[in-house]
Amino acid sequence: MTNRRNILKGVAAAGALGTFGAGYAETVQKLAKGKWSGKKPRDEHVVGNSIPAEFTIDPETGDVTLNPDQAMSYTMCIGCTTMCGVRVRVDKKANKVLRVAGNPYSPMSTDPFIPYESSVAESFAAMAQAGPGQGLTRRSTACGRGNAVLEQVDNPRRVLKPLKRVGPRGSGKWETISFEQLVEEVVEGGDLFGEGSVAGLREIRDLETPAVEGAPEFGPRANRLVWMNCVDDGRDNFVLRWLKQSFGSNNFTRHGSYCGGAYRSGSGAMFGDFKAMPHAKPDFSNAEFIIFAGTAPGNAGNPFKRIGNLVAKARSDGNLNYVVVDPVLNNAQNGPSGERARWVPIKPGTDGAMAMAMIRWMFENERFNATYLANPSKAAADATGETSWSNATHLVITDQDHPRYGHCLRGSDMGLTIEGEAYSDADPYMVISETGPVAAGASPAPLFHAGEAETPNGAVNIKTALTLLREEAMSREMSDYAEDCGIPIEKLVELAREFTSHGRKAAVSSHGGMMNGSGFYNAYALMMLNTLIGNLNWKGGTMIAGGGFSETKGPAYDLVNFPGKVKAKGLPFGRNVPYEKTTEFKTKKAAGAPYPADAPWYPNAPGLATEWMSSLVNGYPYGAEALIFRNTNPIYGIPGVAHLLDKLKDPAVVPLIISIDPFINESTAISDYIVPDSVMYETWGFTKPWGGVATKATCARWPVIEPKMAQNAEGQRVGLETFLIGVAKRMGLPGFGDEAIPDAQGKLHPLNRAEDWYLRGAVNVAMTGEPVSDATDEDIELSNVARILDDMKATLKPEEWRKAATIFAKGGRYENIERSYQGDKATYAFNPPMLVWNEGLGSFRRATTGTHLPGTPAWRAPEFSDGSKVHDHYPREDWPVQVVSFKSPLQNSYSVGAKSLLRIVASNPVNVGRDLAQAHGIKTGDMVRLTTPGGTLESVAVVRDGVAPDTVAIEHGFGHRGFGAQDITIDGTTMPADPRLAAGVLLNDLGMLDPTRGKAGVWVDPVSGTAVRHGLPARIERI
Amino acid sequence: MDTTRRGFLGAIGQVTIGAAASVAGASQSAEAAEESHVPHWGMVVDLRKCIGCQACTVACIMENAVPEDAFRTHVSVYELVKDGQDPAMVMLPRLCNHCDDPPCLPVCPVEATFKAENGEVLVDASKCVGCAYCVQACPYDARFINHETQVADKCTFCFHRTQHGLLPACVETCVGGARNFGDLNDPDSEVSIMLRENEVSVLRPEMHTNPNVYYIGLDDVLDGRVAGDSAYHPEMTGQAHAHGEGL
Repeated sequence: MTNRRNILKGVAAAGALGTFGAGYAETVQKLAKGKWSGKKPRDEHVVGNSIPAEFTIDPETGDVTLNPDQAMSYTMCIGCTTMCGVRVRVDKKANKVLRVAGNPYSPMSTDPFIPYESSVAESFAAMAQAGPGQGLTRRSTACGRGNAVLEQVDNPRRVLKPLKRVGPRGSGKWETISFEQLVEEVVEGGDLFGEGSVAGLREIRDLETPAVEGAPEFGPRANRLVWMNCVDDGRDNFVLRWLKQSFGSNNFTRHGSYCGGAYRSGSGAMFGDFKAMPHAKPDFSNAEFIIFAGTAPGNAGNPFKRIGNLVAKARSDGNLNYVVVDPVLNNAQNGPSGERARWVPIKPGTDGAMAMAMIRWMFENERFNATYLANPSKAAADATGETSWSNATHLVITDQDHPRYGHCLRGSDMGLTIEGEAYSDADPYMVISETGPVAAGASPAPLFHAGEAETPNGAVNIKTALTLLREEAMSREMSDYAEDCGIPIEKLVELAREFTSHGRKAAVSSHGGMMNGSGFYNAYALMMLNTLIGNLNWKGGTMIAGGGFSETKGPAYDLVNFPGKVKAKGLPFGRNVPYEKTTEFKTKKAAGAPYPADAPWYPNAPGLATEWMSSLVNGYPYGAEALIFRNTNPIYGIPGVAHLLDKLKDPAVVPLIISIDPFINESTAISDYIVPDSVMYETWGFTKPWGGVATKATCARWPVIEPKMAQNAEGQRVGLETFLIGVAKRMGLPGFGDEAIPDAQGKLHPLNRAEDWYLRGAVNVAMTGEPVSDATDEDIELSNVARILDDMKATLKPEEWRKAATIFAKGGRYENIERSYQGDKATYAFNPPMLVWNEGLGSFRRATTGTHLPGTPAWRAPEFSDGSKVHDHYPREDWPVQVVSFKSPLQNSYSVGAKSLLRIVASNPVNVGRDLAQAHGIKTGDMVRLTTPGGTLESVAVVRDGVAPDTVAIEHGFGHRGFGAQDITIDGTTMPADPRLAAGVLLNDLGMLDPTRGKAGVWVDPVSGTAVRHGLPARIERI
Repeated sequence: MDTTRRGFLGAIGQVTIGAAASVAGASQSAEAAEESHVPHWGMVVDLRKCIGCQACTVACIMENAVPEDAFRTHVSVYELVKDGQDPAMVMLPRLCNHCDDPPCLPVCPVEATFKAENGEVLVDASKCVGCAYCVQACPYDARFINHETQVADKCTFCFHRTQHGLLPACVETCVGGARNFGDLNDPDSEVSIMLRENEVSVLRPEMHTNPNVYYIGLDDVLDGRVAGDSAYHPEMTGQAHAHGEGL
């Protein structure tokens, strides 16, 4: 057989239609020949159960005639983290969402998106037959998941009333309670479960007593309320106001450390900010060559649709060639595009070896952009027409025993007189000259130098940042890199040559595929390739997001500051600060041995949910008294966390767990209380793109249907905002109630309902910069903003409500596409330098070892927290296979309840490479057992060619225990488990603890503290 | 003319030539000008732009209330391995081809299936007796008996939308821009231009159905990939390991 077709989707698929009898032999009506003259059909009998059209649009004039039974509203999808602007079609009478399409104003859903000035009627016509290109040009889309997740609104397992656990945590048994009882119990505490007294939020909110006796650096006891979020769905600013500025806890984290955090941290290293972690994306439409490593355009990612659309067009109609470097072949590659879209298999977790090989080759062959890299300052870059710059020429102190080892040499080190504090912005960075180190100025500086500098405190060894990178790259041979990553030398050279053959119109892109034991450095190395060709802020290169319009800080209202505001303080629960700031360090140092700390610290990382799990179960650096899960699911999402679950379920460890969630997922399942919340199109929020959009864009979400949650005694729907306001009022917290929101004149307005916040937020969005136009009566009618019009008029000032109405009528505020570029450069440029050497990284000591790590990109095999190599603990002879996860185009960790998705892909067999399968006698359809040091699972195998050697790949989003995969009993009535919701397996069940940690914790990257789900050492067997 | 062109192209097994389409398009244009213009709907699927996201599949389910055991349209996903080449992903959107010579039509004993004015192949539910002969006759496996309506069901090109000036749901929501819909009788339409400017193929050319669904970038290995998995029913036995596989 010359060709082998692998039908990935349906080994067991039976033709639905194949069972009927033999074909009909006679023809009743002979088929006409020639030009067919068809019949005029009678509508009602030919369209089955199709829903009636939402409106009629004259194909010639574009005139819109509404269907009075349906409403069409622009709002936001929250079916994944991208949060696209969408158009929702509602059956008004049934209060039911019928279907979702895209919002043509939104860059997330349309390219090119329509001008913001377009009326709502024009927006409707644009994506109908009357629109340009017969509606094809401006078509606006929802993805597969986005089309399906409206089903979550009517999911029979939604939590609609407050729940309190009955029996032990995780028993699956609940009772409904009133909103008022909920608020009373969580605020006042007491013997809530017949298990002894539990401190309530009122007691925990102690702003005086230290969280840890004798360690004031951890702030007050109020920090013992810790909040785990998933992603900012546009409501986090409300949460943060309540938690930090009102309650006074400093402990808030999101899901990034078990999502794509390693990439973001690696990018943050280069962009010089480990907390905000800026990142750039390729200019997909104008780049000529892109290497996607650890990200899969069109298969998954953020912004999913936009990248999928732009890459599909660029490879078909444009000038883009690209490679997808991945252990698993996925939808990012495209056979019909031929050489335009190529797949390069790589060993899991070794992207850094590939990147460092390319960097080595670029140094050896002088294929880096020396002119760009020679600019030591923004002034120098401006003078040479560049649009970004780097610290490649800056000098770094390289004496291991120097107190400033790993830091950049500054003017004050050289004894220069400076205006301002030493090492502040006023203290110049130094570059080399013929006369020795001089302050970086407005002209180019030498790229390479290694030598000694005379300082007032003696001689010090110095090297330029680029010298250090070159040394790191040259420290391994091409053959070493090739062997480690499994990509032949010739291929590595080919990639490097092509990457350096397009000027600035080439880019490297990455994301969640960096979640492996070397993920941080892998990501930093990949991103450094972009800096070596100087592509940042250039059309066709890489660009940061254009940003958005703030709802909290605007010209109309101040949603951040209020009378009585508290300043939360104290080192964070996740240990993402220098260990050297702790009393533990000082005590140990005084005793002569400051290292190791009792557990790892991550000064070069943001808040870490991964490490929170360790903090929670070990009470280190301190214990939590109350934990709130808000629409999040770390128990499903963190590899290896199952090993900590029993402890987490013990009320003696964390006495109070509250979930705010519409569903009972794996994490809410272990909580004491569940606060119901709104779903999808019932909720409010404002978001901006993470990346990939060059213009300013704010997407607005508003309830386009009446929410289904129960009402409280005041008639408000119970949800996140109702709960936080209710608790705040009972506790008398500042910032809520009748006088809470200052306007521009300082007059205080109420915050008693969600609407008080979001409607005023919309005014801020509308009034920022040049205010938007007023919504017309027609805009309001066509978009059904009429639904909330009375509320807007009652809440907002007369001159404000039509501005806010525009924001909701058009689903947000979007700068026009023409603002993307200024000539060949991005309008919104990133101005701080790209860090070839990151001094925060290069100078810190690992708390667990007391040793340094490289300050440049590097390739290192994975290590545990004590610095030992993972493969020394789990040698290849015993663990010859590596397991990776990959993202599904359809399912995410919370979409399984959207039942249409399971119609298309019902489960996730494990993907086994052909050679590996043959070696073990595995055929498609066989049951296999996978074993790692962390766990075992059994599943069906699918044998594929598109899997790297010795690799097994598992699609994420299946293997649930929550969401109805197990029985749920409420008030004595059991809703039985649905096995479809439990289908498949979860890679995280194979996740590992770090065996070298004294205090139990999952295996994480040593710098970014992020979860490891790629490259788990494993064995496979047929069963 | 129209039929001849498609018949010719079908007969050679694969539509290959932009030139022929161009000539036919020109004469079609002249023909169209003589009489009042009646659109002839067609779809051009550019496989280079399909990202396999299944937005079309789900939008169709929502728009048309497609019952749980069936699909009106679907995207089949293949890993294609040719000797000496790297494996490659191919996503193949599939639907009723709205043939100009539809094999489903003559087998209908009650004339429920018919060819509509704008080229759609439709089923008149008031006539259909649910015998499923048409289901058997369709070479694209695009029909099924709807267990809720008890009649033959299939893609209508979203007849209920196109009549109101809207696009079919699957086209409106196509993320990569792979599905393109329009009037094949209008030489200036996007789809007519795409047919002129690209090499296109059809599924099952040997069946001489004169389909109105065309593909750009269809590998000949796949042009017969229609049977069996149009209406894909994952097996649900309650045992996780026995569930239908999928990607």
